[in-house]
Amino acid sequence: MDAEDQRAPSAGTTSASGSGHDRRATPAVYVPERRLADRRIGRNLPASVLTPPAPPPPPHLDDYASIVGRAQIDALRFLAHELRGKSIKMVNSTALGGGVAEMLNRLVPLLSELQVPAHWDVITGGNDFFEVTKAFHNALHGSAYELTQAAKDIFLMYTEQNRQRMHFDEELVVIHDPQPVGLVLSRGKTRASWVWRCHIDLSNPDRKVWDFLRPFVEQYDAAIFSSQSFARQLSIPQYLFYPCIDPLSEKNRELSDAEIQQVCDDFAIDRSRPIVTQVSRFDRLKDPVGVVKAYKLAKKYVDCQLVLAGGGASDDPEGAAVLQEVRDEAGEDPDIIILDLPPWCALQINALQRASTIIVQKSLKEGFGLTVTEALWKGKPTIAGAVGGIPNQIIHKLTGVLVHSVEGCAFQIRYLLTHPEFARTIGANGREHVKENFLMTTNVKRWLLLFRLLEQAKARMPKAA
Amino acid sequence: MASAPKAPVRKPDAPFYFNTSEHLLRIGRYKANNLSELLRAMQACPEDCIFQHTFRTLQEHHFIRQGFSNDFAHWSLSSCNEPELAERLAGVDVRDFTALEGIRHRMIEIIRDFVAAHPESGSRPAHEPFYFCASDIVLLPTPYAPDTVQGFLDGLQHVSVHSIHHHFIEARLRLKRMSNDFSVWLEEDVGLNEAANDIERIDIYTNTMEGVRLKIGRIVAHAVS
Repeated sequence: MDAEDQRAPSAGTTSASGSGHDRRATPAVYVPERRLADRRIGRNLPASVLTPPAPPPPPHLDDYASIVGRAQIDALRFLAHELRGKSIKMVNSTALGGGVAEMLNRLVPLLSELQVPAHWDVITGGNDFFEVTKAFHNALHGSAYELTQAAKDIFLMYTEQNRQRMHFDEELVVIHDPQPVGLVLSRGKTRASWVWRCHIDLSNPDRKVWDFLRPFVEQYDAAIFSSQSFARQLSIPQYLFYPCIDPLSEKNRELSDAEIQQVCDDFAIDRSRPIVTQVSRFDRLKDPVGVVKAYKLAKKYVDCQLVLAGGGASDDPEGAAVLQEVRDEAGEDPDIIILDLPPWCALQINALQRASTIIVQKSLKEGFGLTVTEALWKGKPTIAGAVGGIPNQIIHKLTGVLVHSVEGCAFQIRYLLTHPEFARTIGANGREHVKENFLMTTNVKRWLLLFRLLEQAKARMPKAA
Repeated sequence: MASAPKAPVRKPDAPFYFNTSEHLLRIGRYKANNLSELLRAMQACPEDCIFQHTFRTLQEHHFIRQGFSNDFAHWSLSSCNEPELAERLAGVDVRDFTALEGIRHRMIEIIRDFVAAHPESGSRPAHEPFYFCASDIVLLPTPYAPDTVQGFLDGLQHVSVHSIHHHFIEARLRLKRMSNDFSVWLEEDVGLNEAANDIERIDIYTNTMEGVRLKIGRIVAHAVS
């Protein structure tokens, strides 16, 4: 998991990025010494967001019926019925923080509720192991890296230690991301089907690191990727599991108008005028400066406010530099509202998205782009850069609009603000697209389908004498 | 002149079993970076890829009323900027076919003709590659197996749109005839021939799948009222 996702208030339930080992995740107290909010008109964050709220209890399967329909829940139960008594083991590299852990926190109880018990195990390792796997992670994303024999030895040593410690008594073993990939060496002693779930973009990996990991990957029964474009040519079947959001989480649940109004009041946002919002870390790849430029171009013709809500500037020097660039570009415009929020502000992000007239995600590079998923789920007309997994979510002019430049973004802001019926249509389509493809219940369904298909394949294989 | 009273609806000869199908998306081995590569891949790819990018994609985008018909047409427009080709591919109606090979041949014919007429378009790089995918399908029952027309209407209201797609659109590949499960049951087991014909004439490209559900319900309700 990218450290960025742990800091960003925009991260959803499942990330397209890989799981990782950044142990800074979910700190007990996260109150930067300097003021938390940078509101152009000078206002600190309300006390309600200064400390993390207690997590709500996880939802039950039936809680989703009002959202996805009873028929979808029935389908999950039918799918699970044939798998009763069989179990799944999920293995990743961190129990806290990051999109993968967040997703497993919801997925595991739902599978167990369907009487397909899921056990979640976490690999262990020293700092040297996690330094190596962090370097592998970056190299698989395309960063330059010199793979050494020492790094390989450290990786193999901890893999062996974890193999000795762990048991694989389940019928399906799912290994998340590259850190525990070597556990597949234990498959010979098990009756399980083994699946590698890769959450990171492997489209342009460092050759040597990939050549080292690939022999492990090819021992699995199947691999799963978050986008077609993230996959590699492999000798095993590859499946597509989109990342997902949880419609019942604080980030995405329905809010009352009073809750939305409260957050807007806290940040002095005027709901009587159009609101254009981008939610993302202060990171150049999210192009927040480009968003300000697009807003300025659009504002020549249409009245609107711009909200840039993000995190990452408080504990990341680069984030702080980007935040300063955004401030400089914004100048003294009182309609530009810049919010540097702590990572637990899910409710506030939810309210800001719901209060918005348009949501922008003008990324220059992106994983899957779960902030786009969140925006679409809220039925918001969404303008986004045509990068990474975003085109999987935004079908141009049908479920949102794709842009490639500041000028294109500015035009689409103007167009959507002046064509509310079209904006409503693409917003409604976007929500349906998420309902069909990117919700937690769909994720549960994909796991059950895969489990069934693998069990059927196993049953067809000739028994060893 | 008063219309003749309708004959009482007969009890169906057999129940209608509402089923549904769920799909798992598999990433295929073929990829196209331009129209010529798309043409070659379409000739070589397995049938289940053709199914995915025509029949199945309609199900994935069942909520869109206009502008989406199949992935080949969409890619031709969004990544190759070829509106004429996109329009022609979008005009291929999956319900004109009872076998995937027929759709494959029709699509290949359209692309081949277009590339022959516009050779420069064949090798022009697309903005984004086309990734061929396929579906692994699991057929599931639903709790609805009505043996009355009223029960059919009730089941129709409650099943998922995936079930509607399964019976109304994918059925012709299974039945190998130009019809659908609803029409076949209404005609053969209930004797509602006119309703069966009217249902077959519902336009899936100008309706969402929810719209199709509503229209089927109205047609059947009208037939028995």
